[in-house]
Amino acid sequence: MSTIHSTPPSLGPASCRTPGEGANGAAGAAKAAADLRRLQAKRIALGVLKPLGVFVPVLLIATFVTFLLRHISGLSPAHVKLGENATPELVRQIEHEWGLDRPFIVQYLDWFGGILRGDFGESWWNGTSVTEILASRAVISLSVAGLALVIGVVGGFVLGTLAALFPQSFLDRAITAVATFISVLPPFVVGVALIAVFAVTLHWLPAAGYVSIEDGGVGLWLSHILLPAVALSLDTVADVARQMRVGLISAYRENYVTGAIVRGLSGPRIFFVHVLRNGIGPTLTVIGMKFPNLLGGAVVTEAIFGLSGFGQYAADSALRGDVPAVQGALVVSIILVVVFNVAVNIVLNRVTPAAARGV
Amino acid sequence: MVKKVLNLPAGRFAAILLSVILVLAIFGRILAPYDPLAGTGQPLLGPSAANWLGTDYVGRDVLSRLLYGATLSIFSAVQVALIGLLVGAIPGILSVYLGKAYEWASLRIIDTLISIPFLIFAVAVTALVGNGINQAMMVVGVLVAPLFFRVARAATLNVSSSPYVEAAVLSGATLGWIIRKHVWEKVLPPIAIALANTLGAGLVVVASLTFLGIGVQPPEPTWGGDLASDLKYLPFKPYAPLFPSLLIMATVWGLNLLADAIRDVSGESGRVLAPRTKAVPAPLQPEPAK
Repeated sequence: MSTIHSTPPSLGPASCRTPGEGANGAAGAAKAAADLRRLQAKRIALGVLKPLGVFVPVLLIATFVTFLLRHISGLSPAHVKLGENATPELVRQIEHEWGLDRPFIVQYLDWFGGILRGDFGESWWNGTSVTEILASRAVISLSVAGLALVIGVVGGFVLGTLAALFPQSFLDRAITAVATFISVLPPFVVGVALIAVFAVTLHWLPAAGYVSIEDGGVGLWLSHILLPAVALSLDTVADVARQMRVGLISAYRENYVTGAIVRGLSGPRIFFVHVLRNGIGPTLTVIGMKFPNLLGGAVVTEAIFGLSGFGQYAADSALRGDVPAVQGALVVSIILVVVFNVAVNIVLNRVTPAAARGV
Repeated sequence: MVKKVLNLPAGRFAAILLSVILVLAIFGRILAPYDPLAGTGQPLLGPSAANWLGTDYVGRDVLSRLLYGATLSIFSAVQVALIGLLVGAIPGILSVYLGKAYEWASLRIIDTLISIPFLIFAVAVTALVGNGINQAMMVVGVLVAPLFFRVARAATLNVSSSPYVEAAVLSGATLGWIIRKHVWEKVLPPIAIALANTLGAGLVVVASLTFLGIGVQPPEPTWGGDLASDLKYLPFKPYAPLFPSLLIMATVWGLNLLADAIRDVSGESGRVLAPRTKAVPAPLQPEPAK
């Protein structure tokens, strides 16, 4: 595996040919090309399968723990529905209706099978389908988390790259100082501050609520999710910027960059072809690790900005003791995180093949 | 190590800042001029001689509430960090020694804890298992444990494959002696860094939970809870959130500075990525003589 990575693909078959090969040369080259293709296919397959091998156990453990929540909490639909009027007979009857008197493993398999079909059961609170509610709420949460991710990645890339291009300059120090400062800010403090400044004092943007694209157009939609997304993204901006700076600066120190400068390649070409591709790996890892925070932090930002996303739904349902709704929200958030991380790993393996080997 | 940290300007500054906050947390109840739950004047007053930081929406003294809240906010963060340390570091050290099966299983559990969206789990699980401050701290403590697990494991791996441990094994040292004498000294600085970072994170998480009314409900004074009520009355007193926010930020900042100072004096890179080398612990029992 590792030998193929060290030779850039373009240099592969053609340059391997020795001058005196003659007629055999073409066949040899074709064979070498086929070998290379096979190895590349294997690498791509490994790049997809390896992260899956890590994340499938994660998914299984996480869903199992989520399922255990009902047993740990000792809650039952009877208490949610009956409240003070609960008698042992009524409780047993309701638990029988919900199938909670079956053996543990049967309940778990039933529930897990439902998840695989996209069915998260019914809410204990009002009997509605958890899947339907989650689908409508996830749009809001994903709008905010998605925009926050875009702001975090773009902002972090730009700041980190600027700092790395002019190391030790005033700009670099200013960016590092800003990154340190905003990484200390808790998201809810940022949220409250943004509302105080942009909504209450300046009246530029709405303080709360959500308008979907169908109802109010892109402009209104964006104006409602901009502040929460900014509040959520600052931490990511700081971490991505710092990682980007470190990664690029160390890539600039490599011998092949000195070599490229000596060969007279242009600055942009050196940056995009040699430095960026080799220095970006750790940043991608950081983005993968930040995504759970963006999704989980939604609980607080949604509360501040009056958004009814699935973080808010999870919190409300948990306070009501509505276990299936909470389980649904948690499982969806874990699945989103796992899918995102698999995607990041695949991208990582494409961009920096070395990452597929080690760690 | 403590002396070296205090010799750095940043370390000294962090130590002073954190000591002040610790004093507030311990003696806040004595220093507070008023009862945090009783109204002392008009609602939403600005700062004055009687109420240094003004009053909140039912006329309670803001300063007294913040001082009372300091106790809960700081000490729950401390407890979160200690629970995380206990639940994380011990299995982390053991994962190097207890064989492949335990290692694989513990690593998968840590992977899971890392991929979990932190806050949403803390909120949901705490609310489900009883919505009290103790439940909240247990849940958050377990969720921050992976950091300690990784740090302790990485340091232990580092030590266990180093020549001087091999030498100690060859000279017949027992497992306990090696851990006390070699592992511990190597493990301590990174764990101190992780502890400082976790304290900061724990403070923010506890503040986030109380902000949402999870773990502790109003009218009990907490920094997060007060921030939430300030938010509701923002149009009347837009600068009110500043006071609890500044306290939270100052504490987190002090802890970050402390972590950086420890990192600087101990020469730790502070990276907690999994070590590149596979776990090859040195055999801990000398081969029996033939």
